[in-house]
Amino acid sequence: MAKRFWKNKTAVGTVFFVVLIALLGILASWIAPNDPYAADILHKYESMSAQFPLGTDHLGRCILSRLLYGIRPTLGLALLTMLGTIGIGALMGLLAGYFRGWVEELIMRIVDVMLSFPSQVMVFAVVALLGISVQNVVLANVFIKWAWYARMIRAGVMQYREKNFIQFSRCIGTPEWFILLRHLLPSIAADLAVLASLDVGWAIINISTMSFLGLGVQAPTPEWGAMLNEAKNVLTSNPSQMIFPGLAIVVLVSVFNLMGDALRDVLDPKEVAK
Amino acid sequence: MKQYVFKRILSTIPLLLIISFVCFVFINLIPSNPAEVALRVRQVPIITEEAIAEVEAELGLNRPFLVRYVSWLFDCLKGDFGISYVNPSRTVAGELARCLPATLQLAGASLVLVILLSIPIGFLCAVYKDGIFDKVMRALVFITTAMPPYWVGLLLMWFISIKLDLLPTSGGGSFAHLILPAFTVSLSYISTYIRLIRNNMLENMKQDYVLYANVRGLPQKVILIKHILKNSMHTCIVAIGMSIPQLISGTIVVENVFAWPGLGTLCISSIFNRDYPIIQAYVLLIGVLFVVFNLLFDILQTVSDPRLRKEGA
Repeated sequence: MAKRFWKNKTAVGTVFFVVLIALLGILASWIAPNDPYAADILHKYESMSAQFPLGTDHLGRCILSRLLYGIRPTLGLALLTMLGTIGIGALMGLLAGYFRGWVEELIMRIVDVMLSFPSQVMVFAVVALLGISVQNVVLANVFIKWAWYARMIRAGVMQYREKNFIQFSRCIGTPEWFILLRHLLPSIAADLAVLASLDVGWAIINISTMSFLGLGVQAPTPEWGAMLNEAKNVLTSNPSQMIFPGLAIVVLVSVFNLMGDALRDVLDPKEVAK
Repeated sequence: MKQYVFKRILSTIPLLLIISFVCFVFINLIPSNPAEVALRVRQVPIITEEAIAEVEAELGLNRPFLVRYVSWLFDCLKGDFGISYVNPSRTVAGELARCLPATLQLAGASLVLVILLSIPIGFLCAVYKDGIFDKVMRALVFITTAMPPYWVGLLLMWFISIKLDLLPTSGGGSFAHLILPAFTVSLSYISTYIRLIRNNMLENMKQDYVLYANVRGLPQKVILIKHILKNSMHTCIVAIGMSIPQLISGTIVVENVFAWPGLGTLCISSIFNRDYPIIQAYVLLIGVLFVVFNLLFDILQTVSDPRLRKEGA
């Protein structure tokens, strides 16, 4: 598997890029040229210069520094959302697919109800109910998305549960938890990895949308969606304000989408052979 | 056949009941007392126990939970969704009715754009597979799926309205106001359907009936349009139909960018104002639309596809 990974240039490139972005975010306080919160009204809307590589915003804050610091909430929250959804989805999917009977019936009926609600509206409803804050946006996204994963992972488990090695394992009296964790989970790990990387792109867009509408990360904090919210107010006078945060989102999301496709090729040799 | 349709319609009733129950529980889960919230948003200076009790009686909050659910459900069926917390002189139904036409207009225009753009583009992409047109379109599809809709809206607003001064930036009313928001809403769906139609066409091209048509010596044009496109459209129409409620709910963000006076703008301002009855009614409305459209297009598909019809009966 490692060999196939290193052979696939897209996979190596995108993973490298994501790690690089994450590092930039973690090291933002050392790399960033300026303080992202330091307002300097005399230098507002400055164009690119040595001191402010990407110019300054409507309060004279350095845009590059804000973008770098913005990686933390943007990428961090998206990863958190992804871990939450995949975690709950995988647990529910494994339980439903493996145990069958009333457990499966119960979980899948809940999944059906969850899927019959339009996801976007549910995010707004959950945020409205719990109050406007970042934690609630992440919770809402996890809450509406886990059902999709539960259904997909259950389908994956159903494929494997009748396979000979699992039947054999059951015959020789292996405990259930061992079969679940050591046989089934690794078997569906490839599907999980692909789903996860595609999901991060989706989560980045969703969370930044909430911040853009003022329902997520709040104004002074540098988050890409929130930056676009501020840029929107000066659209007529200074349209260039919205270019960099938007580009940052597009690039990061495309890289995650590319990574998902590349990982699918790496992890699923049958697909490539076709 | 009739039996299948009847069964399918019956099966949605429990689902509708669950959706309505979730919406009802939703408003009862609010951490603070709804009566207190209502008093606070009406800006009553001093909130006393008596005032709360009075509002509770006014809103019918002092009855048992299930009784309230049943009476609420019957009120909803009659089209009475209660009154707005923020502005007690307005009914929720009235607010929804005021904003619904604008949203339907936007969603309808987007739907037309989706159909008009995605079908021909998907068709051409499949016909000229791996040609220049296909490659350019695939790149565009890839980029548009990574673009947040609100940013697309801002870019369009800046380029078309401010730079070129062709269309108004925001607000509603005229046809010119409709173009940019409708295009923004439809963009992500267009890229999805281009891919869907393209893949469907390519899948169909491998089928035996295409080979047979070729053997019969039919002209390529006829095979492509009358056989392959017709067969690929099947799944696409069902998919597009089922995504109509998604289009309606997907207008939330774009409406806010362009200050379009529809349900989305109402919903977001209700979230900020904690006007829970409006949010509840909105979620209920979209949930019911979802179920109804799924039902309609599911039946339509079964009726129109002979292969499925056999299974269903």
